[in-house]
Amino acid sequence: MSSYYLTIIGTRDNPLYEVEFSSFKPNSSSTSSSASASSIPGRAQFAPDVREILPFIANSSLDIIDDSQWSTSNFNLGRVDSFYGLVVNAFITQGNVKFVLCYDNVGSGTNSKYDDNLIRQFFIDVNDLYVKCLLNPFYRVNDAIVSPEFDIKVKLLARKYF
Amino acid sequence: MKVYSIYILNKAGGLIYQNDVNPGLNRLSANDYLVLAGTLHGVHAIAAKVTPTINGKEVATNEYPNNQNAILLASGKLQDSNSNKSGLQSIETDLFNLYIFQTLTGIKFILITSPNPVVHNLQQINREVANKGELNKQYAQANEIFKHLYIIYSDYVMKDPFYSLDMPIKSSLFDTKVKEIV
Amino acid sequence: MSNDNDIILSSATSMSTLTINEVSKDGFGYNPSVGPQSNIITPEASTFLLSSKKSIITNNPNSIYDKNIINKKNLEISLSSLAFLFCEMVNWCHSNSKGIQDLETRLNGLGYQVGQRYIELIKLREGFKTNKREVKIVEILQFIHGTFWKAIFGKTANELEKSQDVLNEYMITDNVPLMSKFISIPKEYGELNCSAFMAGIIEGALDSSAFFANVTAHSVPITGYPLRTVFLIKFDDSLSIRESLRS
Repeated sequence: MSSYYLTIIGTRDNPLYEVEFSSFKPNSSSTSSSASASSIPGRAQFAPDVREILPFIANSSLDIIDDSQWSTSNFNLGRVDSFYGLVVNAFITQGNVKFVLCYDNVGSGTNSKYDDNLIRQFFIDVNDLYVKCLLNPFYRVNDAIVSPEFDIKVKLLARKYF
Repeated sequence: MKVYSIYILNKAGGLIYQNDVNPGLNRLSANDYLVLAGTLHGVHAIAAKVTPTINGKEVATNEYPNNQNAILLASGKLQDSNSNKSGLQSIETDLFNLYIFQTLTGIKFILITSPNPVVHNLQQINREVANKGELNKQYAQANEIFKHLYIIYSDYVMKDPFYSLDMPIKSSLFDTKVKEIV
Repeated sequence: MSNDNDIILSSATSMSTLTINEVSKDGFGYNPSVGPQSNIITPEASTFLLSSKKSIITNNPNSIYDKNIINKKNLEISLSSLAFLFCEMVNWCHSNSKGIQDLETRLNGLGYQVGQRYIELIKLREGFKTNKREVKIVEILQFIHGTFWKAIFGKTANELEKSQDVLNEYMITDNVPLMSKFISIPKEYGELNCSAFMAGIIEGALDSSAFFANVTAHSVPITGYPLRTVFLIKFDDSLSIRESLRS
């Protein structure tokens, strides 16, 4: 069962939004070492020291994103970085807002292609939500997104895809 | 029909636009135009008061503003934009014709045109012929011009941020459009 | 509000970077004095998300988040109401401004925010299957001249040219600019062009796509088109360096 950390980065490399979650699927499979019976479905299960550095991992990937931003015209940049078993996927909008998703790669080594596709779909839907947020006249570009509705919608997407 | 001149009066009778679109009238001094406009405004108001009545009931429907506003609000559409129902509507002389059109808000458009085609022997013309014939034709034409004038007034004057209400119209686009109509 | 009359600037903030003094006020980002504080799934949220009842998601039935903004139907609005709105915007800016230059800057600032939002929306509407991010100067200009213009005004702009004399300067020409269709500038206002608002939209769109530019509107009337407007786009010098590095 993988844990995910999604953050939205503004044009000044400032964080606009972040969320941690994990797969909502009940892990009936044998690789249930980390999940205890008391755990909450959907709660990320990063180790405390990993949790501490997640924003830094996301931040360090920004250089790589900046670099590839001008060499490809795709919105989805795919897998840009990895850091001790944590994989970083990124997506960039026309308005230069980056979505960065870090996740631990537990038990998904076999079908990473499938994972990437899933993440791409997830990013596209998050982008849709982001644009809706942007249409709010009281929201300005590069403001933090504090709307609880946005939050719940992202979490719903997380549940839908992972 | 030849249009000589177009005047626009604000609701207080002040001249806010004057354009001699075709030659045919003598130029007056700027002050005289204002006096002329004021006089017309006054005569129009007097005419509204001296409308003939039959047994104390008004012949012309003077209930226009109330009734029409209700229709306008209910349907969103105004059937006839001319609210000039009881005032001076037209003057016909041997030398020129003058038509007045009034909007709901009291703006008056005034048209001075060439006179009706001459009817030589002043015979009695029965109403049927008059309704279809030349006499009404020019009136209809004038109304057509008023309609277009009103449209471009709402477009190029009212939507211009540099125009302040009841002040003289200086918009160059409006000038061009007026020339296009006539 | 004390800053009611404050000018809305075309924020070039997208060009600057964060400084150490800027602390996140909203709990996002890493605050060393607190430690990791990320937005996590709470037990309530978890049960809620897993429950099949989705009808109680929000108490706002008209939430923008529930609407389909990709839908391309019924996107037209009345030109009259737009013209009246724009008329009021110009009046509002005018009453606050200190001069013609100031008025244009204010209009530009209003348009800037529209541009920032609109470019994202249009890219979203285009769909991700067929379309791509614009990464080249010429390509984004063509996009603005074509798709972008069409989405806003229902027609493409008339011309797109590169300046002969000055590097990094481009011109987009519109023969009949929709927003200022009914506006005639009095003589005492000289060079004022209300399409500064449009220039702001373009600038906002370009800036947020990291094509930092300065856009100004100039009236260049020709016979038949008294309102013909040229939008002069001057790109930042850093762009040509970026472009040359990649090609």
